[in-house]
Amino acid sequence: MPPILPDFSSSVKLKYVKLGYQYLVNHILTLMLIPVMAGILIQVLRLGPEEIVNLWNSLHFDLVQILCSCFFVIFIATVYFMSKPRSIYLVDYACYKPPVTCRVPFATFMEHSRLILNNNPKSVEFQMRILERSGLGEETCLPPAIHYIPPAPTMEASRGEAEVVIFSAMDSLFKKTGLKPKDIDILIVNCSLFSPTPSLSAMVINKYKLRSNIKSFNLSGMGCSAGLISIDLARDLLQVHPNSNAVVVSTEIITPNYYKGNERAMLLPNCLFRMGGAAILLSNRGSERWRAKYRLVHVVRTHKGADDKAYRCVFEEEDKEGKVGISLSKDLMAIAGEALKSNITTIGPLVLPTSEQLLFLLTLIGRKIFNPKWKPYIPDFKQAFEHFCIHAGGRAVIDELQKNLQLSAEHVEASRMTLHRFGNTSSSSLWYEMSYIEAKGRMKKGDRIWQIAFGSGFKCNSAVWKCNRTIKTPRDGPWMDCIDRYPVYIPEVVKL
Amino acid sequence: MPTMVAAAMESPVWGQKLSSVVPAKVTGDNKDFELTNMDLAMKLHYIKGVYFFQSEAVQDLSVRDLKEPMFQWLEFSFTTSGRIRRSETGRPFIKCNDGGVRIVEANCDKTIDEWLATNDNHQSPDHLLAYNQVLGPDLGFSPLVFVQLTWFKCGGMSVGLSWAHILGDAFSASAFINMLGQIMAGQIPSKSFQVHNPKKSESPNPSIPGKPFSLKKVDPVGDCWITANNRKMETHCFHVTAKQLHHIESTTYQPSQIDNISCFEILSAIIWQSLSKIREDSGPRIVTICTNDYLKMRENEMPTNGMTLSTVEADFSVSKGEIVELAKLIAEKRMPENGLIEELLQGNEEGSDFIVYGANLTFVDLEEANLYGLKLKGKKPVFVNYTINGVGDEGTVLILPGPEKEGGKGKIVTMTLPEYQIEKLKNILENDWNIA
Repeated sequence: MPPILPDFSSSVKLKYVKLGYQYLVNHILTLMLIPVMAGILIQVLRLGPEEIVNLWNSLHFDLVQILCSCFFVIFIATVYFMSKPRSIYLVDYACYKPPVTCRVPFATFMEHSRLILNNNPKSVEFQMRILERSGLGEETCLPPAIHYIPPAPTMEASRGEAEVVIFSAMDSLFKKTGLKPKDIDILIVNCSLFSPTPSLSAMVINKYKLRSNIKSFNLSGMGCSAGLISIDLARDLLQVHPNSNAVVVSTEIITPNYYKGNERAMLLPNCLFRMGGAAILLSNRGSERWRAKYRLVHVVRTHKGADDKAYRCVFEEEDKEGKVGISLSKDLMAIAGEALKSNITTIGPLVLPTSEQLLFLLTLIGRKIFNPKWKPYIPDFKQAFEHFCIHAGGRAVIDELQKNLQLSAEHVEASRMTLHRFGNTSSSSLWYEMSYIEAKGRMKKGDRIWQIAFGSGFKCNSAVWKCNRTIKTPRDGPWMDCIDRYPVYIPEVVKL
Repeated sequence: MPTMVAAAMESPVWGQKLSSVVPAKVTGDNKDFELTNMDLAMKLHYIKGVYFFQSEAVQDLSVRDLKEPMFQWLEFSFTTSGRIRRSETGRPFIKCNDGGVRIVEANCDKTIDEWLATNDNHQSPDHLLAYNQVLGPDLGFSPLVFVQLTWFKCGGMSVGLSWAHILGDAFSASAFINMLGQIMAGQIPSKSFQVHNPKKSESPNPSIPGKPFSLKKVDPVGDCWITANNRKMETHCFHVTAKQLHHIESTTYQPSQIDNISCFEILSAIIWQSLSKIREDSGPRIVTICTNDYLKMRENEMPTNGMTLSTVEADFSVSKGEIVELAKLIAEKRMPENGLIEELLQGNEEGSDFIVYGANLTFVDLEEANLYGLKLKGKKPVFVNYTINGVGDEGTVLILPGPEKEGGKGKIVTMTLPEYQIEKLKNILENDWNIA
């Protein structure tokens, strides 16, 4: 018993020391200002009211001087307000909920794979092992064309899936926000692997009869992090165009992309990618400030494409039999870690409190000058953010990030549960995760959210949002009928 | 015959596309469904039911309209979506893992009327309209139920149900498919399904210990659940109209002689006698009778094997006896063997494999089955046929209710017998009884 107590007490002491240090450094300006103001106040009181009036009269103000000072102040204020970047608000967003007729339980997916890959028992075994450890649940969905043995992907089926997903999400968005189609000034659609002519953005414009002077963009081929790239593009456009609404649609169309071969490195996407999509309304209108859910604070994009290994680690190519699939290299996790580090290095100074930055700087200096063997200090991002939305790319990605950023199970709960209920829905998964946090009633005014996504290229993109108003538990949304069952315990290996 | 040659060249049913349909709600993990000994006795048999609908019943119904209600349908009897697994002792059970039901979409070059007319030819082609199902060799990943939707040239459609007998008997299969029609019409069952718990031995007899005669041991099949036949089997089906039935009844016996002899017993007697006339051994002396004595209501119940298996032994010469005597024998002197079967399978340590249908000449009474209860857009099927696959060499005869026609309902007789017996039997039945 005796040895334990000193440890406990020393750790408690350490905790208080840490807290004290953080409070001191983070509020240093306030703490320095207080003694100064106290000093002035005491001095003023000592002088007495008559002395102050005399001081005032001796200043000899005349009209010109007063006018010039006023103009000067007004001028500075105008320059300040004009050059401040516009606030970008996220008014609301809607996620697509696939119908039960698209449901694919484990057993069915496995059975279909066995029938399709029947000449290759090794590939079947491999796929079974991936699926058992994937972290997916029994309710993820695939489009109808993929339910056939073998899958029947046609252009028509792909367009059909795109229409169902995108139009459902947009209808839902219109209903939630009261937006009229002709009020959309900017439209950005991102879908990595399906890019028909005319584009998906043209499809949306045609369906909803949007204005002829709309600024529309269609981003394809940019991977799972394209959602945040679209947000970044929308932000830049909203800086240039005042008083505008931008709609961003993030989705991934599964129908044309089922890999029909048996090369192991290419089988993983079949197991993880599932149907999903989201539509987001961003605005820079002042009138939206009151009802917007979030305000966009930062977007940080990091691209490691200059490195050959990073460029090739997620690569779409033909296998030995000529079947096209997306090949994932074995270094994927390592490269993701590198990309994350780059991104963190840029975003850290923007979001971390001064206390953490100071510690990081001191450790950095110490390592450079004194002793390279000191462990690098990993800043505590839990102090910068209340919520984390890590792209549900796969169980390994979430595990890796949880380890690297030292996050607790509750921080990554949104990501894990999204992976379980919806699978990897690519660029829209971040929105399902936000929706989870809202559905759980955890989103309060002032909360800061960090969305991180990885994508082919290799890219690591982050967005930081600040919650604008406490969000009541929504009565609609993709989690509506199942949120009570979550969080679930996801076993390491699920026996099929 | 030219038509036979043409049929052999290319199949009239083509363009098969397979997909799966699963229960709408997750059944929940760790739901393992135990199989009774009666279920295991039937594991090597498969039921096929084909329902023919004219175009008015299926006009404007797309594949999607048919598939979408299926998700809700499968929520109720969730065992049909499960898969076979073996426990540590090797005993099979059903893991309710939502693997789902396999759907086959196909097309046919003929019209419904053309198809039904060709039924008098040799091989009943109905087997093309329901998928040829065998559990195994990949036992854990073999669907227990297939549903084949075949569109005909005239706009009509057939629904072919392939059902593993281990799940339940023909009455359960019929109730299962009828429920699809109900759900499509918007009548959702309100309560969840009861599992029927078989009473320990529903037959009053086990004072006579011994082996059941209705069961026959076969060579081990391992994980591929089908036996091979020593003889080539053929299936033939014919309609006995209500008028013909009435004629038979009036000619074979006086009204006072029959107390509670049903059409099933009369028809079975006729066929038994006719067969014994053509067989060299004048046999068979023992036949198996399969009837539904206890579980009348199958709606809203989990599928089960609830039919009674009995044997009848004739101690007189079958070919020379009176039909009415034979019918009375079947009606009154049959010995139920469910208890014996249970006992035998309970002690089946070494996991031997058995067949029931075709171990002896088997007669199956499906007269009371609600086969015309599957309605699409409120319309009944124009014709329904059931057959059993995996039948042993002695053959099986099913007596089914016939379609409604003027004059009332007749019966459909579907026989699966060795090829060489079918032709001769047809001759005798036509000559002596004016049926077939």
